[in-house]
Amino acid sequence: MSDALTLAQQGWPAAFPAVTLAHYLFVSAAMFTVGLIGFLTRRNLIIMFLCTELMFQAAGIALVAFGRYHLDFSGQTFVIFILTVAAAEAAMALALVVLLFRKRETLSADEWTEMKG
Amino acid sequence: MDLLTNPIVLYLVIALGAVGVCMALPRRGVSPQLVGGIIAAVAGGLIVLVLSLRAARQGGPDAAPNLFFYVFAAVALGAALRVITHPRPVYAALYFILTVLASAGLFLLLSAEFMAFALIIIYAGAIIITYLFVIMLATQAPEAGKEHLLAEYDTVSREPIAATTAGFVVLGVLTAMLLGGGAQLPPAPAADPSQTRLAQLPRKIEQSLRDAGCLKGGGALARSSLGDPVINWSDRTVQIEGPDGSRTWAPMPDGLELSNVEGLGFSLLEDHPGSIEIAGVILLMAMLGAVVLSRKQVEHDEELKRRRAHQLADAGGAVR
Repeated sequence: MSDALTLAQQGWPAAFPAVTLAHYLFVSAAMFTVGLIGFLTRRNLIIMFLCTELMFQAAGIALVAFGRYHLDFSGQTFVIFILTVAAAEAAMALALVVLLFRKRETLSADEWTEMKG
Repeated sequence: MDLLTNPIVLYLVIALGAVGVCMALPRRGVSPQLVGGIIAAVAGGLIVLVLSLRAARQGGPDAAPNLFFYVFAAVALGAALRVITHPRPVYAALYFILTVLASAGLFLLLSAEFMAFALIIIYAGAIIITYLFVIMLATQAPEAGKEHLLAEYDTVSREPIAATTAGFVVLGVLTAMLLGGGAQLPPAPAADPSQTRLAQLPRKIEQSLRDAGCLKGGGALARSSLGDPVINWSDRTVQIEGPDGSRTWAPMPDGLELSNVEGLGFSLLEDHPGSIEIAGVILLMAMLGAVVLSRKQVEHDEELKRRRAHQLADAGGAVR
């Protein structure tokens, strides 16, 4: 049992069975779905952006799990770029939200429906 | 056991999860959030149970992930559900931090230590704190006597049934692919293919040989004319040079592997060097963009300003 409870480096660098990979991919898919539902249902601009971060997070889990399955570090390298894009997106999106809030004094996405053209 | 791995049962369980998430979303009037959360949790647990049964049948008892996987997965998904159902934005952001911490735990289980801690530092420490600041800055002042009321756009969700259906169709397709397409994955490689990169770390090899007691009495790692260590990868031996210049082969010590940070560094700087430059440019542009967008507009109408000054001066004279 103590072997089963070692936290990191379990079995590294031995192979990682596909049935174990499926568990991590399911968690990733479920988290992506939750983020998608949140993006569609919530009407607060900031929570909508938080839900996109949730989807980034899910993609990161899938990438790291695939990288562990193939014993390749490229998956983790791509998570670094996901973090970069998430940070850039947070900075830009939050600046836009602050700008919009100054104009209408509300965070509701429905206030800006005329922007769809 | 066969009943649970039947695809129809799987789709029914996913539909049950959809009902649970739909009930948990905030809506007008009383929303059965706790009941919905419990139903969604039961559905998620059933799907993980199906996956584990399949793992036990196909790969033997060692194929299932360890206990911590279930703990971190449950915390991550529960907190993610709370992010999209909590009516108060600040609490949603705090639950997102919990999701990030649980994902970092999953990364640790996948032996990605560097990414786990980078995730905590960058996501929980920087990005979500920025979100929290903006949530606190951009909140409407509540009307007097209504401080406990939340804004209408936070308490009522938009199209919960349609959105949940769309989301869970995506989840159903992805899960069906997991169960059906897993056999088509190429088999996992038996040994670490990035092992040959160890040859670029002669000091690490020398240190590990010295720790294993292979270099006695002033011996050193033998170098080729280019300065690289001489390694025979097929039987994992490395050439060492004795103090008298004689060369012998010694087995590589056990546990001489690329660590996570070393492997990630090689992957980042050798395989994807251009991407780092692009990432730097993206961050720079985002920083400039954020500064330009959130700058306060200071150019006032000069005429208006002069008129206001006159009005103020007149008013002051009248009082005196």
